[in-house]
Amino acid sequence: MDLFEENVLQATRRQFIGRTATGIGTAALASLLNPQLFAETSAPESAGLGGVLPGFHHAPKAKRVIYLFMSGAPSQLDMWDYKPELEKMFDQDLPDSVRQGQRITTMTSGQARLPIAPTMFKFNQHGGNGTWVSELLPHTASVVDDLAVIKTVNTEAINHDPAITYIQTGSQLPGRPSLGAWLSYGLGTMNRDLPEFVVLNSSWSAKRDAQALYNRLWGSGWLPSKHQGVALRSTGDPVLYLSNPQGVSGSTRRRMLDSLAALNEKKFEEVGDPEINARISQYEMAFRMQTSVPDLVDITDEPEHILEMYGPDVHKPGTFSYNCLLARRLAERNVRFTQVFIRGWDQHGNLPNDIKSQCSDVDQGCAALLKDLKQRGMLDDTLVLWGGEFGRTVYSQGTLTKTNYGRDHHPRCYTMWMAGAGVKSGITYGETDDFSYNVVENPVHIHDLNATVLHLLGIDHERLTYRFQGRDFRLTDIHGNLIDGLMA
Amino acid sequence: MTVNRFWQQYFGTGLVKTTEDFGSQERASHPELLDWLAVHFIDTGWDVKAFQKLIVMSGTYRQSSHVTPELHKRDPANRLLARGPRFRLDAEMIRDNALFLSGQMNDQIGGASVKPYQPPGLWEAVGYTSSNTAKFQKDEGDALYRRSMYTFWKRTSPPPSMTTFDAPSRETCTVKRERTNTPLQALNLLNDIQFVEAARKFAERILREGGETTTDKVNFGYRWATSHVADEQELAILSELYEQNLEEFTNDPTSAEQLLNVGDSTPDPVMNPAELAAWTMVANTLLNMDETIVKE
Repeated sequence: MDLFEENVLQATRRQFIGRTATGIGTAALASLLNPQLFAETSAPESAGLGGVLPGFHHAPKAKRVIYLFMSGAPSQLDMWDYKPELEKMFDQDLPDSVRQGQRITTMTSGQARLPIAPTMFKFNQHGGNGTWVSELLPHTASVVDDLAVIKTVNTEAINHDPAITYIQTGSQLPGRPSLGAWLSYGLGTMNRDLPEFVVLNSSWSAKRDAQALYNRLWGSGWLPSKHQGVALRSTGDPVLYLSNPQGVSGSTRRRMLDSLAALNEKKFEEVGDPEINARISQYEMAFRMQTSVPDLVDITDEPEHILEMYGPDVHKPGTFSYNCLLARRLAERNVRFTQVFIRGWDQHGNLPNDIKSQCSDVDQGCAALLKDLKQRGMLDDTLVLWGGEFGRTVYSQGTLTKTNYGRDHHPRCYTMWMAGAGVKSGITYGETDDFSYNVVENPVHIHDLNATVLHLLGIDHERLTYRFQGRDFRLTDIHGNLIDGLMA
Repeated sequence: MTVNRFWQQYFGTGLVKTTEDFGSQERASHPELLDWLAVHFIDTGWDVKAFQKLIVMSGTYRQSSHVTPELHKRDPANRLLARGPRFRLDAEMIRDNALFLSGQMNDQIGGASVKPYQPPGLWEAVGYTSSNTAKFQKDEGDALYRRSMYTFWKRTSPPPSMTTFDAPSRETCTVKRERTNTPLQALNLLNDIQFVEAARKFAERILREGGETTTDKVNFGYRWATSHVADEQELAILSELYEQNLEEFTNDPTSAEQLLNVGDSTPDPVMNPAELAAWTMVANTLLNMDETIVKE
């Protein structure tokens, strides 16, 4: 809607509502009557979806995404990529023919040997297609028929910061918008009470020394900052500055906002700047969030059998299980993109112990989330992803024993899974060699993964662009191929 | 390039809109003016200060920001400058402006960065666990009220009141900020301790310096916040708000007490708590007004 048209509507609205002596309350009332009148005008918006895209590029399969991000890089060898032959090769050197001179990190490049460390965990076949899953993931194994397990995800980055920035933003260098920010920019929002991109950071049980996360991972880069992810916090206000100051009741705040709206409305009449109306509506949304956010995080209305499904952790705010439940509640409220982060997967040493605690942190929550979405019919239009920024090496970092080893960073192949909207279920995609070192068949580069995610959301990844510093940028840069084999 | 960026500072948009990239981008709205400004800047010995004066004293800059539907239809983004600029202040200026109005501003120049109020847990949530900035420790006293350019910047978790108002993350060079308008900004200005405390201290100033009557006091606060006199309607809105709040806080002294304890600074003990709390809500309103955080 252009401003002129909006002005006319404003006038009509005023005549319709009439005015009290001071105009108090009209803003609030009007926004209830027709929120579109207060549609934000500060950024280019389209009528259709509220984002820059006038419509979907093609019919979307997924309405929303829940992305479970395992920060630090979980070991594919101990969880998903079953290599039984390795058992016989315990402590043998990794053949040069496998490594092929590949660059390895300085954390192991100085080691005299690169001894093969077979997983010490047992694998079993699960589901209708007999997918191999480690004993570390009993709950996830029970829903494996809903998953597309991708064994051949790969990236060029070999260290955490560039790698996680890469998969999140399409570039190893900081500064570009994250996937969720692109979605907000392209598609706008599906609800008026909550942000369209929400981030949940989880507590973790493995060693405390974990890789950092960065606000840029859910940042908007050079896109307007309103597209950045909003990190909900597990202590204090879930959204920053949500609560009124002590001593200020809801009714005191309401009265203050009414006066504020009256003053701002008056200003609008004087200068006609549509940003003022946008501001009035944002204050009303802030007020609505003071109700909608506490309602979102109040899980006391969940029945006991649901809470049980997510496991005992669900009662502790900030745990991965709790965040999985919140992710479902956000999806129900039509938040388009929710990303749950959990750190602690960077297991260079003492991997067997640490991976056990990490898996027990995430396993039940992952499975419960899928079951919960499915029983509500929401798995049909919700896309769920699980994975980290790269994989881990078949050779041990540090001392190797039968019961203890560590694994270094490995970018050439690792495992992620997808489930839900538009994704083939019960499949394993791609093959790695006997060492889970190189891709043998059907590689999925992280650009391919991002292109496919956008595709499932109805976006052609080559056509969602933003011009900055003289060129058009996109999430997949100049790369990315759709992975047809993953899509139903 | 340089004069175009100065222009952007004052008008919100450069004569060439893409200040970061002249290249093959959009043409200058006033190419001859841009040329003249550039040559003038060189001819006056690259005198930056004189150049700022030149802009702020120009007829173009001193125009009213008022926009009619007709004018807006013809030039929605005001590229032709038939009216004065009108845009929201930058993040740093919004906070500095509140500190200034409250009388708390610490105008010391130079020195180490400071850590003013920040909600707990932000650094811990993302930071490297063994880093020397793993845990946020707020500073005390005067350090809380320094200008925002001195605020400590942790790049994994920049100060939220800055990034919420579009301060760049400082990861890529940004010469042109976006200006968004979001509910998180509203919450920030309404409820952040820094801004509530500023409202409280602004209220003390209103009580101390604002004159005898409620009208005088409203006028005082309004004038400081907006640089112009309130009209009858504005006076009525804010006076009514004050009276209603005064009644409420008089009946509920605990709430008044609580509100007056937000922030590290102590309230003026000689002031009536209910009155001060009621004026704090008025000041909170003034600090949130569009006109206060927008330059016109």
